[in-house]
Amino acid sequence: MSPSAASTPTLAPEIADPRLYLDGIPHERFAEIRAMPGLAWHPYGDNGFWAVTRHADVRAVSRNPKVFSSAIGHTNLWDLEADALEARRSLIDTDAPDHTRLRRMVAGAFTPKNIRRWEDAVREITVELLDEFLAEGGGDWVEMVAAPLPIRVILSMLGVPVADGGYLVELSNYLVEGTSDTQSLPPDAFGNTTELRLLPFNSPASHALFEYGDEMRSKRRAEPCDDLVTHLVKAEAEGGRISRHEYRHLFHLLVFAGNETTRTAISHGAMALAAHPDQWQRVVDDPDLVEPATEEIIRWATPVLHMRRTAAADCELAGTPIAAGDKVVMWYASANRDEAAYTDPFRFDVGRGDNEHFAFGGGGPHLCLGAFLARLEVSVLLQEMAARRMLLEQRGEPVRVASNFVHGVLSVDMAPGWGP
Amino acid sequence: MSGTELVRVAVDAERCIGGGQCEMLEPEVFLVDDDEAISSVVGSGALPRPRADVVVHRCPGAAVSIVEPQRPSE
Repeated sequence: MSPSAASTPTLAPEIADPRLYLDGIPHERFAEIRAMPGLAWHPYGDNGFWAVTRHADVRAVSRNPKVFSSAIGHTNLWDLEADALEARRSLIDTDAPDHTRLRRMVAGAFTPKNIRRWEDAVREITVELLDEFLAEGGGDWVEMVAAPLPIRVILSMLGVPVADGGYLVELSNYLVEGTSDTQSLPPDAFGNTTELRLLPFNSPASHALFEYGDEMRSKRRAEPCDDLVTHLVKAEAEGGRISRHEYRHLFHLLVFAGNETTRTAISHGAMALAAHPDQWQRVVDDPDLVEPATEEIIRWATPVLHMRRTAAADCELAGTPIAAGDKVVMWYASANRDEAAYTDPFRFDVGRGDNEHFAFGGGGPHLCLGAFLARLEVSVLLQEMAARRMLLEQRGEPVRVASNFVHGVLSVDMAPGWGP
Repeated sequence: MSGTELVRVAVDAERCIGGGQCEMLEPEVFLVDDDEAISSVVGSGALPRPRADVVVHRCPGAAVSIVEPQRPSE
């Protein structure tokens, strides 16, 4: 089906090919689409999607979940078969009222007030990682700082032992592969016997993460602690406010999203600071700029490039008719560089005011659960780097993930220096 | 500021998803409950209209609304 209207829609240039992203976000293609009238149609597989690229249009889709559903089809570009969609359904792929119920299970831990309680723990981890990085004279920033910082924090919140951090980072890396064309794991890795199409990211690493979550669940049932897993286990025990399936997928989501996305923000943040030493100097000189610099880094990084919705009814957006069942894809990567929403969007400006970026979602109910945690991690990192008057010098090109979904960086070599 | 109209804000508990945007923007006026993860108004809930408009605009669940204008400030 679709493009549904009698008139032929404008065709978008190719933006879905994962290989395009090996050289970074294809910004000039997105700029071209933003300038097209109405919405552009992008062929994909044997069908296609509406490419929503302007800031205002992304917001309109995100904030109208009754029409633009997360629960139909899938929230990635490709559709899932009905049984796979059910097997893989998480908080991400639900609409109200399920979404509201599930989100409230964990949202209390991620409010601004409760995230602030983690500041000392985040600072301790940050200091340890930065000191190691400096003592080594630099190296792979992703491996040394960007990856371990968020994973150690989310694992503390969940109650996972520090010793298992490396294993969960490894699993998370395999999941990222699942968003691209390459899968290095055999289907039976980690003792997996489930059909891959029934696992998140088509990855046997999802099986391993579910198993790990189940082990945690048993441990906390036997011996409750003051952590998120205990909280979820209680919710499951107390009259089934959350099902076994929902628990497994929430655990999976918290580990993956708590790890992969902030890692990406910290990786791109370091590259941006290295490329714009004048902007970094402003932060070093003025601690009040840490907050806007954090927002700017997150906008600049846009760790999740898009999310898809599916039209639940015939509707219209930007003057373009959309038919029920059509895929509607919000390209955050484009909205965050929209000339209509930002002054000079391609300038990295640590003092940018009123930065309503869509790196945590497009303004609707699927707002990133960990938004305040991500902000805390990035801002503490900036504070500690500034306290050391530390500079970063990038050595060579980063190795990027071939993915149209995550703006991932596998490695980037950084050398430390010291400012005046 | 002189002439800035004060308005009263309210949270629709059914729609609230506990996203915490309101608490981030106006910590004196909104607090998200730890257990239920539902925001509520603490105190009078009075805000200058431009600031109330920002909270309404940024609430991801469209749960915050302006219920009534209050007396204008001096």
